[in-house]
Amino acid sequence: MSIDVKHLARLARLRIEDDKLAKFEKDMESIVAMVEQLPEVSGDASGLDPEHPMKLREDKEGTDKLTRNELLANAPKMQAGCVVVPKTVE
Amino acid sequence: MELYEYSAHKLSKMLSEKKCSSEEITKSVLDRAAATDEKVGAYLTVCEENALKKAREVDEKRGRETLHPLAGIPIGIKDNISTKGLLTTCASKMLYNYVPPFDAFVMKKVNAADMVVTGKLNMDEFAMGSSTENSYFKKTHNPHNLDCVPGGSSGGSAAAVAAGSAVISLGSDTGGSIRMPASYCGVVGLKPTYGSVSRYGLVAFASSLDQIGPFGRSVTDTAMLYSVICGHDNMDATSADREYPDFTALLNSDVKGLKIGIPEEYYGEGVDNSVKETVMNAVKELEKRGAEIVNILLPSTKYALNAYYIISSAEASSNLARFDGVKYGYRTENFTDLTDMYEKTRSEGFGDEVKRRIMLGTFVLSSGFFDAYYKKAKLVALDIVKEFNSAFGKCDVIATPATPATAFRLGENIGDPTKMYAADICTVTVNIAGLPAISVPCGKVNDMPVGLQFIGRKFSEQILLNSAFAVENIFGESKPINV
Repeated sequence: MSIDVKHLARLARLRIEDDKLAKFEKDMESIVAMVEQLPEVSGDASGLDPEHPMKLREDKEGTDKLTRNELLANAPKMQAGCVVVPKTVE
Repeated sequence: MELYEYSAHKLSKMLSEKKCSSEEITKSVLDRAAATDEKVGAYLTVCEENALKKAREVDEKRGRETLHPLAGIPIGIKDNISTKGLLTTCASKMLYNYVPPFDAFVMKKVNAADMVVTGKLNMDEFAMGSSTENSYFKKTHNPHNLDCVPGGSSGGSAAAVAAGSAVISLGSDTGGSIRMPASYCGVVGLKPTYGSVSRYGLVAFASSLDQIGPFGRSVTDTAMLYSVICGHDNMDATSADREYPDFTALLNSDVKGLKIGIPEEYYGEGVDNSVKETVMNAVKELEKRGAEIVNILLPSTKYALNAYYIISSAEASSNLARFDGVKYGYRTENFTDLTDMYEKTRSEGFGDEVKRRIMLGTFVLSSGFFDAYYKKAKLVALDIVKEFNSAFGKCDVIATPATPATAFRLGENIGDPTKMYAADICTVTVNIAGLPAISVPCGKVNDMPVGLQFIGRKFSEQILLNSAFAVENIFGESKPINV
């Protein structure tokens, strides 16, 4: 199967440089050719495990408190206690 | 004998008998790291000052308080496990400067046990790879042969323990990332039952498959560290709510009556004959000691690798959407608008393998392909679970090679992704079924270690540890390798 790497990259918010495109196409095609070998199976794939159900925590305020500054310390750009991003609404 | 050469359980005894101090052990391990790591490249971050400070604190506490058996023992941590105040990069440019404001659940446990963190260990970027060659920062070399890879993705965790630059370590296993490097580096590695160790604070790759687990040069060390990190955690919705025994106290190498399943699918095409023979010789030794060999069938194994790469990549494409250059990590320098910033940040921040997985995940989840890939893979996963369940009606553990061959050379597979993926054929089924499995050294082929993998029922870690303990009694505990 031929894979449209440019399209996939756009969906995933990636950009593949033109000089790397051919190699990515070749790699992706051989990976897809490998993984598509699957048997004809049918059924319900919900994947729930009744033996080991998940236990949800109570819907209440957590106790693990972090300060605003601790959380913002890793932001690439910050101003007046806010994360700075390019304009999002025209 | 230098202190770094001892196993954790011996050091624990020496500490309690006041034959040495934690500071002396920590110094010895840090010196060993300084002497070997230029060649091995296991560490991404060494925290010498903090480690020695912690060691001195533990030494002061000793005698005044009852300490955990692993108190004062140095440990290395894979760099995808969040360590408060300590760089956690996932071996990616994307997180080159990320310092977590919180500790992972396992780090809270490790710190509560007063263990001494010596540093953060190299890995394949975001745990995607089978050789640790996908690290953005450096390559890790196999201490048994520096021209060979240590395996991946927890290559640094395995290589550090094998070289003696860590006594024990933590790694993570999504499709074999603990067991494969353990096998390649000749150490013990346990991938616990899904849900037995909290994933809180483990940077997510494929959430339904990821599990944190321990490495050690002995089964006892591995059991001790597993006892520290297992347990229920409210912060992980998939964490199992149950009690765990003291695995170390219950270690027993008696295999009389143990039914060992041998699945022919793991001894077929694609697995080296010399590796098969080495593993089967070890199993026959167990048979001589009273174990019973049972032939079993796991026919869906041949689809497991394909199902694994579909499911794990699908989850990765979703999990890695969070890396956008806004809240933490790398952000591109020049951009025109928001989308441009996202695309440039992600293209410059991620390596090629991560990009391939994200795109494969995007592909199998996209409309028109979902049923043929993702849904089918999930159905194959259910078949794999059913087959394991029926196999465990006939046996207590399943014994297989941990890897289809011994460690390959650096550069040998890096240009061909599907060849690299094939290194995972013996390990991925376990993650798909959520089972526990352990790799224990069982001999060598051409001077390179071979790992025997035991797979068990959910929450049967004790049986796995005991089976591995029996193998270790035959072949001996691992010693740090001269490099």
